[in-house]
Amino acid sequence: MSDDRSTMANRAASPEEAARESRHEVLRELLGAYADRELPPETVAQIDAHLVGCAECRRGLEVHHALRARLAVEPPAAASPAFRARIAAAIDAAPAPAPRVATDVRVSSNARMLWLAASGWIIAMVLSIALAMTSGTTSVFAPTSRTLSTPVHDVPLLGAVVDDYARVSRGDLPGRARDLDAVRAAVSFPVEPLRAQNLRLIAAWTTDVHGEPAAVLAYRLDDRLLVQYLVAEDVFFQHPAIRSAIADHHLLRAADGDRTVVAWPDSSTGTVLVGNVPTESLQTIWRSESKR
Amino acid sequence: MSATSHPVDPAAELRARFEAVVMPHLDRLLAFAIRRTDSVADAEDAVQEACVRAWLGFTDLRDEANARPWFYRILRTVLSDMREKSGRRQQLVYITRLEDAHDELVGGEHDALFAEVVSRLDSEAVHRGLRNIPEDFAAAVELHDIDGFKYVEIAEIVGVPIGTVMSRIARGRKLLAGAIMAERGAAAAEHRSTDRRSAQGGPR
Repeated sequence: MSDDRSTMANRAASPEEAARESRHEVLRELLGAYADRELPPETVAQIDAHLVGCAECRRGLEVHHALRARLAVEPPAAASPAFRARIAAAIDAAPAPAPRVATDVRVSSNARMLWLAASGWIIAMVLSIALAMTSGTTSVFAPTSRTLSTPVHDVPLLGAVVDDYARVSRGDLPGRARDLDAVRAAVSFPVEPLRAQNLRLIAAWTTDVHGEPAAVLAYRLDDRLLVQYLVAEDVFFQHPAIRSAIADHHLLRAADGDRTVVAWPDSSTGTVLVGNVPTESLQTIWRSESKR
Repeated sequence: MSATSHPVDPAAELRARFEAVVMPHLDRLLAFAIRRTDSVADAEDAVQEACVRAWLGFTDLRDEANARPWFYRILRTVLSDMREKSGRRQQLVYITRLEDAHDELVGGEHDALFAEVVSRLDSEAVHRGLRNIPEDFAAAVELHDIDGFKYVEIAEIVGVPIGTVMSRIARGRKLLAGAIMAERGAAAAEHRSTDRRSAQGGPR
């Protein structure tokens, strides 16, 4: 098996090579959890096998190990006796805690639910490898979509995005394309502009969508305005209607009057793309993205 | 005299339990707060506020075995409130630059060198690196690697799905590696520039 991924990527991809590359893309995202022994045995076995032939992932794993080892010996601070006395005095001055109905952090009772969710996530990742291997395509997910079954405003994230789009499209755009780096620095998730034929980035800024930070990228598609709202994945997946549509079809479609909306998740973000264009135009952009 | 002849003071007993269950974690919590505030004094204020909130809500904590993640969650809320109040924003190095530095690292043959560099970093350099990456990623990495929480506990502390914890830790370490390499590259460039100036006739 070849050790040189860049050479492999540069060659015209055969179905087998494309499947191997897809497997690499998925498994390298799991290296941190692999280093931390937080993966189920079957996923560990897949990564073990992959590491044998992938020098880049072996180096990536070494980075995880090296940082883990260094951070593990980071010393705690030493709270001084004066500080401890100050805390004791503050607690003395506070009222005694009242008996309440328990709402404690039930790690153990919630653990099962959390791990069910995690298992689902890992299974989805591993399943995507299998799909890529059997289909022999570079795209992990098949490009399908589902129309939102409820009105857009029943889903707070989508309602807020559509309202913001209506406001923005009525006035001057709040930023410029050159503000992209500042936008990237202002949010805690990755911000990558969309790339598709005839699509050009014309502005970038940040905003709040339903109380959550969002990066906003505006594009010109021919002579129409499209606006992409990027939010953190936990915000994106908050509403069950979105989770359900994405789980089934990977792309959500919706419409609000003349405005059309598509939404999809990336590795750590969610995108909601809005415009006064036919849904097919938005889906074409998403297909271009899913092939990247 | 038998022990049962002394009436137990419930308030004193509760306070003693709080001291036994929560206070042993004070040093770790203080270190966590120091890494995300401008001064030790600010960190102490945050930890003190967290202690008072923990005391006021102590009867909510049914399972004392979970005191540590519960206490961290309170501290994170306090720190978040403080940041919101002060309007302080994190000064970040551009993420793409850090990712490029990481990709260059794993794309080359420098992994042994990296392990050596990282093992020799002092605490100040580690903290600088962590401060240069977004808070969500840094917190996940620190909670796991420094404070020793499992992914499931971090998901509870931070209030996100466990898949998000996995991706934040993986990406956070990549960004941290990038930050360390970027700083090392900048220091080497500065060193070369100083050497050149010296060779051209010493300091002016």
